Amino acid sequence: MSAQAAAALLSARDVAVRLGDTPVVRGASVTLHAGALVALVGPNGAGKTTFIRALAGLLPADGEIMIGERQLGIMGTRERARAVAYLPQGHVFHWPMQAAAVVALGRHPHTDPFATPSPQDRAAVSRAMQRTATEAFADRRVTTLSGGERARIALARALATEAPVLLADEPTASLDPRHQLVVMELLRSAARDGGAVLAILHDLTLAARFADRVLVMDGGRIVADDVPSEALSPQRVAEIFGVEAMMVDTGEGVALIARHPI
Amino acid sequence: MNWFNRQDVTLNAALAMLVIILFGLSLMVGPANLSLDRVIDGLFRGEGISGIIVRDIRLPRTILALLIGATFGLSGAALQGLLRNPLAEPALFGAPQAAAAAAALVIAFGLAGATSYAVPLAGIAGAMLAIGALLAIAGRRASLTVTMLAGLALASFAGAAVALILNLAPNPYVAMEVAFWLLGSLQDRSSDHLLIAFPFLLSSWVILGRSAGAFRALTLGEDAAASLGVNIDRTRRAVVLGVAFGVGAAVAICGSIGFVGLVAPHLVRRLVGYDPARLMLPAALTGAALLLVADIAVRLLPGVVEIKLGVVTALIGVPFFVAMIFSERRMLEGSPS
Repeated sequence: MSAQAAAALLSARDVAVRLGDTPVVRGASVTLHAGALVALVGPNGAGKTTFIRALAGLLPADGEIMIGERQLGIMGTRERARAVAYLPQGHVFHWPMQAAAVVALGRHPHTDPFATPSPQDRAAVSRAMQRTATEAFADRRVTTLSGGERARIALARALATEAPVLLADEPTASLDPRHQLVVMELLRSAARDGGAVLAILHDLTLAARFADRVLVMDGGRIVADDVPSEALSPQRVAEIFGVEAMMVDTGEGVALIARHPI
Repeated sequence: MNWFNRQDVTLNAALAMLVIILFGLSLMVGPANLSLDRVIDGLFRGEGISGIIVRDIRLPRTILALLIGATFGLSGAALQGLLRNPLAEPALFGAPQAAAAAAALVIAFGLAGATSYAVPLAGIAGAMLAIGALLAIAGRRASLTVTMLAGLALASFAGAAVALILNLAPNPYVAMEVAFWLLGSLQDRSSDHLLIAFPFLLSSWVILGRSAGAFRALTLGEDAAASLGVNIDRTRRAVVLGVAFGVGAAVAICGSIGFVGLVAPHLVRRLVGYDPARLMLPAALTGAALLLVADIAVRLLPGVVEIKLGVVTALIGVPFFVAMIFSERRMLEGSPS
């Protein structure tokens, strides 16, 4: 299925967000199709997190954001929560709850507050834990887990919602190389199963290697939206990130190698 | 799945049993100790001295201890859930003090009788001001340091307001009355007090209980909770309102009683897997048990003057709080400010 034929699960046009008096996102557009993993890259302060929070409906924004056929602004909070899963930075857990109980939080938008979890809820939780290979520590307290395990639990929580759209803010931050790859493969497989995934990444090499498309953001605008080899061309990487980089074709996709600051 | 969980049936049943036993004990203990037989006799037949003692003196006091203790336990659990912070407690944020100041103002200056609805309403307004101001000052991210400092400021301000009322009291007798009332006690409370407080306590339980699911989602932080469909602003308003209703009405009846809201959730949190939603009911039951124990204890302590309930809960609660700070020190040092 080509990207054009796939359904647009999220489309945003001319999104603008001000935080206080500062315009942080100035007319950014994106379309997320089923089956695609899209990376959002850009230097610190480019407005990536603000943009993705606006797409998740967590910030008031100008412009048009459509989730499937529905306008984000008129969706109820629970309806929106069932359609868009959001994985914030940092994998925060404030209470030392059991890992499985944390993953089950992903079912919050589906569950009546006073009902017991339905068989569907249980099934979704176990699917999410199976996919992230977290069943082995389902009973452990999240605070006793390693960084990589926490990242997978946080991702499992987001996957358990089984929302068509997943927005992830730096899902690979502070992970060791192996877990960065594990998480990226999980995001890609979530997309391949028919979801649309947008992930903020700081590692351009990971973005080039895993993403079907890369959005480059700078100064609150999307300055490139293309396949990795085009979006992350050495000229653009030099211009936007101030890094001299080279692109190597590995045979199974392109690899970007950052060499030195300019 | 939120406020009640099948896994917790044993825990909740055991706590309920404990509350029932303490309820019975509370009816038996006092200047005139009554046997269980006489209590049951007095309670159901209501004849003679034991009838008067049980029905008119001890029953309202005992029911109030139960309801108010449960309210404090629930309020503590709710504030802790909202702020994701096991050290949150209405008394640390000046809520009971503010409620007491507002209620004292009404009483001291004779604006209304002590058993009119004006007193709890004033108490609720005072508590609402304190909790609302706390959440406004602490801001959306509710960092521990800012929250605690804001609470300190509010508690001090409420203390100053109480001092001002004592200062301006029309006569020394009124000042003494207010001062003793502020110490917190359930002595000589009647069924009138009970009837005045009950609707507000009940509303507080409903308001706070409905937010249980939101507290659980807040385990992941405000952004993730919001993305899960939790209306953060509404939850904050619900906590302000619920805690104010509960604490305001409770304080209006029994004066300033603190630290039950800190201690009760802490005692049972581990037993419910640290789940802020499953915590609610056991915390309420534990709060009821704690206040019943404290209220029985003040009657058992020897001495001519009965030690006030609020004094006992503070004497036990503050060292407990310090011990909690010690045990949570590593977590606190690691917390962002």
